[in-house]
Formats: sequence, structure tokens, C-alpha cells
Amino acid sequence: MAGLQSYVDHRVLLILQDGRAIVGVMAGYDQKSNVVLSDSKERVYSMDEGVEEIPLGLYLVKGDQIVLIGELDEAADKAVDLSTIRAEPLPPIRY
Amino acid sequence: MLPLSLLNAAQNKPMLVELKNGETFNGHLVNCDNFMNITLREVYQTSAEGDRFWKLKECYIRGSTIKYLRVPDALLDAVKEEQNRAREAGRSARGAHVSGAGARGRGQQPRGRGAVRGGQVRGARGRGRGM
Repeated sequence: MAGLQSYVDHRVLLILQDGRAIVGVMAGYDQKSNVVLSDSKERVYSMDEGVEEIPLGLYLVKGDQIVLIGELDEAADKAVDLSTIRAEPLPPIRY
Repeated sequence: MLPLSLLNAAQNKPMLVELKNGETFNGHLVNCDNFMNITLREVYQTSAEGDRFWKLKECYIRGSTIKYLRVPDALLDAVKEEQNRAREAGRSARGAHVSGAGARGRGQQPRGRGAVRGGQVRGARGRGRGM
């Protein structure tokens, strides 16, 4: 696996095939890129209000649903006021 | 920590499972396997649109249809602690071999092997001379 190990215990952003964006601390993963996120929150983007963060807690996401995993720069992320962000939500992937 | 060890530790715990088609299942985990096939008990099924509900006594969900599982927060600490305990147990068990029997064992083993090796060398020489 191309280096998910370096993300363990770091806050990461997960993009799922259905377009969801989830941030959480990567607690673990396996061969199939199934991922365990602790203290996770879904970030819901919309054009008419700020980003809504929905707490999800401990999450186990199946690897085949994951489009992207990225390490979050926590300092940079905290500096962003999510309530000021307006953005189109990501559409689900198309087959 | 492996996702499957978390899932195994979630037995008899409540969880929410969302399928790839958006349907969700709330229930207590009865059993699971390495494919993430699971059986749930006392299940509330919700349609993808969230407008229809069903109650099921028990259901089996094929692992490949699952999008994600949501499990109780407390499980993370439980699994980590369990792993630490297992590690400690492993270490002390191995430690006992090394320090307890090891003091003798270690001293003896090389001598033992040495003797065997010596024997083989002598044996080889013997054979050599014999031929």
C-alpha cells in the first residue's frame, strides 16, 4: 500500500464516491484501504450557507468507497472559518 | 489498528451501517467475518431517502454492499487497550523465556549447538579419513 501508514494518528480528509467529505483522525487501515476514522465529522458544503460540520464519531469506511485520502494541515484548517465558505457540494461519481 | 479488529470488537454493540445504495441499518452486531459480511439483530432499516422504515428481527448484510459503519466511540479505546494488553502479555511471556529460562537456556544453547557442530565436524573429518 502506497503509504497510508504515514497518515495514522493524523487528521485526514476523506472523499467518498458519493461525494461526501469526511474529516477525522485516521486510527487504522488495512490491505483493502478500509479506514478507521476517530472523532470524524462530515463537512456539508452548500452555496446558500456556510459549511455544516456533522459529528459522526468513530467510523469505519470501506476502501472501495474511498476516492481520496489527504492529510489535513491542522493549523491551516483551523485558520479557515468554515461558516464563511460557500461551495457547491461534490456530486457523486458517475459510472 | 485494523478495521476488522474494530469490527470484531463491536460484537453485541449497536451500530449503523450504510449501504452503497444509501439504505441504512441500525442494529446490534451479532456476527461478522473477514469479508465484512455482518448479521445484525433488532434492526431498523431506513430507505435511502429516509422516508420509509422497516423493523427487522435479524438481517444479514453482504460486506461488499456496505459503504461505511458507524460504531460507538468507546470501542476505539477498548480495542487499543486490548491490543496493549495483548502486546504486554506477549512481551512478558517472551521476557520470561529470555530472562528466566534464558539465563540458563541462552548459556546452554550455544554450547549445545557448538557441541553438535563440533560433533558434525569431527564426524565429517572421520568420514573423510575413512574414505
